[in-house]
Amino acid sequence: MRVVKFFVMGSLILSVSANFSLSKPPFTEEDLKLMHEELINLVKKGDELFHSPKLGTNGLTCANCHPDAAFTNPDTFPKFQPNVGEVATLRDMINWCIKIPLKGKMLAHDSEEMKALEAYIYYMYRGRTLKPGDNTAPVPPVKVDSGPGYP
Amino acid sequence: MKKISRRDLFKVSASFGVGAVSAFALSPFLGLVEISEAKSSKRSKISPFNFAVIGDAHLYEMPNHRFDETLKRAIDDVIRMRPKPDFVLFIGDLANFGKKVELEKGKRMLDRLKDNGIPYFIIPGEHDWYLDLGQTWKEMFGKPYWSFDHKGVHFIGMNSILVEDYWTARNMSPWERMLAIAELECHICGLWGVGEEQLEWLEKDVKNLPPDTPIVIFTHSPLWDYYPRWNFQTKDAPEIRKILSKFEKVIAIHGHVHQVVYNKTGNMVHIGNLATAWPWPYPPVELPYPEIKMLRVDPGDIYDGVGWANTYIDETFLGLFEYKTWAELIPPELKKGVPL
Repeated sequence: MRVVKFFVMGSLILSVSANFSLSKPPFTEEDLKLMHEELINLVKKGDELFHSPKLGTNGLTCANCHPDAAFTNPDTFPKFQPNVGEVATLRDMINWCIKIPLKGKMLAHDSEEMKALEAYIYYMYRGRTLKPGDNTAPVPPVKVDSGPGYP
Repeated sequence: MKKISRRDLFKVSASFGVGAVSAFALSPFLGLVEISEAKSSKRSKISPFNFAVIGDAHLYEMPNHRFDETLKRAIDDVIRMRPKPDFVLFIGDLANFGKKVELEKGKRMLDRLKDNGIPYFIIPGEHDWYLDLGQTWKEMFGKPYWSFDHKGVHFIGMNSILVEDYWTARNMSPWERMLAIAELECHICGLWGVGEEQLEWLEKDVKNLPPDTPIVIFTHSPLWDYYPRWNFQTKDAPEIRKILSKFEKVIAIHGHVHQVVYNKTGNMVHIGNLATAWPWPYPPVELPYPEIKMLRVDPGDIYDGVGWANTYIDETFLGLFEYKTWAELIPPELKKGVPL
């Protein structure tokens, strides 16, 4: 009996320390650092694309209208987008901007470029509250004092 | 509607023994305008007039570009104004990358104003400047800072986009230098300003002007700290404001922000002009006057979020800055103009 009780207690402690549902130990500092670096590499690539005229044909870049990704409002997607005419995801909206104001060729939704653009935009809105469908007042991106705005 | 001049107000207040007047004057163009002070002054020598402000055209080299169309529309509107404006002020960023071909295209378009009997004055923006450090611009348009008197008002234009050298140490080519500063959020370019030479010039320029001289100053960037990250500022604006602090009132008009924005500092009122190229979102800071703001923009309409301005100056040096747009951009209460 005592053995069984000990076993139950032991597994309780184990499951609490493993955050209830995880069967593996938490990520180490090193793991987290590496994963963050991977993300920032993609953000950086997105930043470059965001400031590059190569997405379009008329010389314009995303950043012409969206300095520091301002007014991209990733926190509000998906939402009904009047200019798209249906509920749009952030990727739909990125493609709309490439096609209409930039007069470029739309990206495949699962392309590396699309993921990079999305990563940059989301990262510039880190910490903001998700408000899917919100078409009211836009929330600005993070306030940047110096540097590119990340990591 | 009978117009009450500043001098009339002064007479009324004097008869009641009130030194400073805070009153509402009926104005033919605005309804009610608050006048915080009334003084007998040389302002009465102003003959009312209007001038137009166009800017931030950001012309690209390629032909039939959308920004050619919007600048052309602004110029066409100005040419059709009746009565004609006394002059046009182009408030910087005629070109996007400072290329000769872009500046030449812009000059050809602006020269249509002259051909139609409307002179224009021009100051540079950073997009005109950093490919060759202003060489082509100066060859085309002359001195980047100047002043003149017109119908009782002293007008000043300054080059506010001078940064410290960020390119030599980085071994950047002229094109790389231009591309860097062409980004609003350039994070290696630093804060810009007018610099020592222009501050000295300004001091001399206004030295002998009496304090009641009406002053209008044009700069590409705002003369107050709005959002330094996007160079929505002028580094030596505090010095400029100090030099101009002896005047009763200064109207400061700027471009660069591509949006409706207004502020007051001491004796100065500041107003931002729209671009003809594209609108910019409001930065992540509080607006000093949040009621003076533009509305949501349709990014699919090249004529939305952009425009130019007609500025009316009355004989009491009240200004009225009327944003001229081609879409529903201006809140109804600002459609008659922003009092300056």
